[in-house]
Amino acid sequence: MDLKANQPSDDYEPVAGLDQQTVQCVRACESEAAAKTASDYQHIVWAYGVIWSLFAIYGVMLWRRASRQSVEIADLQRRLAQ
Amino acid sequence: MSEALWGPGARAKTSLDMVALRQAWLLAVNDLRQEARDLELILTSTFFSLVVLIMLGMSFSALGVSSQPLAVPGMLWLSVAFVGALTLGRIFTREREFDTLRALLVAPVERVSIYLAKAFVTMVILLGCSLLTVLGLTLLFPAAQPFADRPLETFALVTMGCTAYAGVGTLFAAGLASSSGKNVLLSVILYPLTMPSLLFALVATRSLLEGHESFTTYLGQLTATNVLAFVVGAWLFEPVLVGVPQKRRGAARAARRRR
Amino acid sequence: MKNILPFAMLGVAALIFPTSVSTIFLETPIEQQMGTVQKIFYFHVPLAWIMMLLAVVCGVSAGIQLRRDSKRAEAVSIAAAELVLVTGLGVLITGPIWGHATWGKAWTWDARQVSTGLLWLVFAAYVLVRHYGAAGSERLAAGLAIFGAIDVPVIYYAVKIWKTTHPSNDVAGSLPASMWAALWPALIALLLTSLALLFIRVRQELTDVTLDEAWISLDDAGAAQPATGDA
Repeated sequence: MDLKANQPSDDYEPVAGLDQQTVQCVRACESEAAAKTASDYQHIVWAYGVIWSLFAIYGVMLWRRASRQSVEIADLQRRLAQ
Repeated sequence: MSEALWGPGARAKTSLDMVALRQAWLLAVNDLRQEARDLELILTSTFFSLVVLIMLGMSFSALGVSSQPLAVPGMLWLSVAFVGALTLGRIFTREREFDTLRALLVAPVERVSIYLAKAFVTMVILLGCSLLTVLGLTLLFPAAQPFADRPLETFALVTMGCTAYAGVGTLFAAGLASSSGKNVLLSVILYPLTMPSLLFALVATRSLLEGHESFTTYLGQLTATNVLAFVVGAWLFEPVLVGVPQKRRGAARAARRRR
Repeated sequence: MKNILPFAMLGVAALIFPTSVSTIFLETPIEQQMGTVQKIFYFHVPLAWIMMLLAVVCGVSAGIQLRRDSKRAEAVSIAAAELVLVTGLGVLITGPIWGHATWGKAWTWDARQVSTGLLWLVFAAYVLVRHYGAAGSERLAAGLAIFGAIDVPVIYYAVKIWKTTHPSNDVAGSLPASMWAALWPALIALLLTSLALLFIRVRQELTDVTLDEAWISLDDAGAAQPATGDA
């Protein structure tokens, strides 16, 4: 009874190169690589987002300055017309 | 003597460089004499470095001997940086209060002489304060003992560090004195610009404390930075300080901002 | 023509940007040592180059400003300094993000990190002096910009001495051709964007100067009119 339990069953045939240990090892590597890639992509998204939002913020600042200037030019023109 | 130096024939008599140097010397002596009369700058700066020293002592008295060689250079040069900003802020105040900087600028004096004289006075005062700080650090921290063991090297190092500070600082302190004096801006300008010299001084001090041979190399590099700072400072002094008057434009802009 | 140029540049940059992203992510091999995160490199490094370029532009135009009292040069140096702050902030933020992924630590006091930080501080000081300095501080700020531009190599060298354990900096030299191919479009997109913003800012500054002069002459005319009216 005990002997039977320890022995592999007759219908189990290990496929060459894919024993349990290798499969586990490969899965572990894969999940680690997936985690690394996911974290990498997170970092990349942050980095690219930061760069373009900095440019966007500066662009908005320039735009606001431009609109202030056009208000001032209109003011000046109004005064000159008087 | 002064007749020959300031007079119209001065340029013909001696070469321009010699005149500039002697004018600088006379201006510096004049400043130091004035300082010796009321001691304002010397007393306040000395007191300030003493206070900084006590604060450093209290903050770091528990520091282990092994980590002291890393901390002492930082303490020395940070206190030089603080005292330097204070001294530079004050050094042109007298000129501003009585508007004598303008008088000095229209006088027949080489502008470089004014720069050199002011830098020299700053350097002397700063050197005095730093030597006091060095003495205090030697008494407070056992790792600073090499300062006392190698006084010549220490003196050379402190002189070079203070010169760097004075060279960069005088230019901008003068510029801020001629505009209506916003002294916060002095520290804003001064600290980023003097950072390289400060780093060289830090590294040299650390190697002095640890008894490395590389000390002379670092001292040489610090000296080279000094030369660069003085050349650029002397070259920029006149265009930055005198330039072309643009007061009205600036005033109009300030008025607009208020509107 | 002059009004359209910056926007045309921005448009071209907007066209190049998707191409550059697809080149970076789809056509360039993944770097062996660092993995996917190395792709930050294609934007981080060109941005650092642009920052250096703008710092030099700021210093040179400040020199011209002092020498010739040129308003145009002054405007260029202001605009360049502000863009040094923008691009520098980009470099200073993306660098630690990259460092966090590869070294596990964002700020390592690496020589290039510290020297970029110090350079950024110099130009931040310039912008502060320009903004809050009293009348006549333009020349002082120009002196600061020149000093800053000269300081660039000194800062770099000093930091290298101070931190002797720096990593080697010949990454760009040993790059395989495929990575260079991905670097160029990114560089061009970023450069076009920065230059377009620079042009827009320069023109705004010049408009400001003209407006100042207009207000002054208006005030003068206003002051002159009552005087003539009395007479």
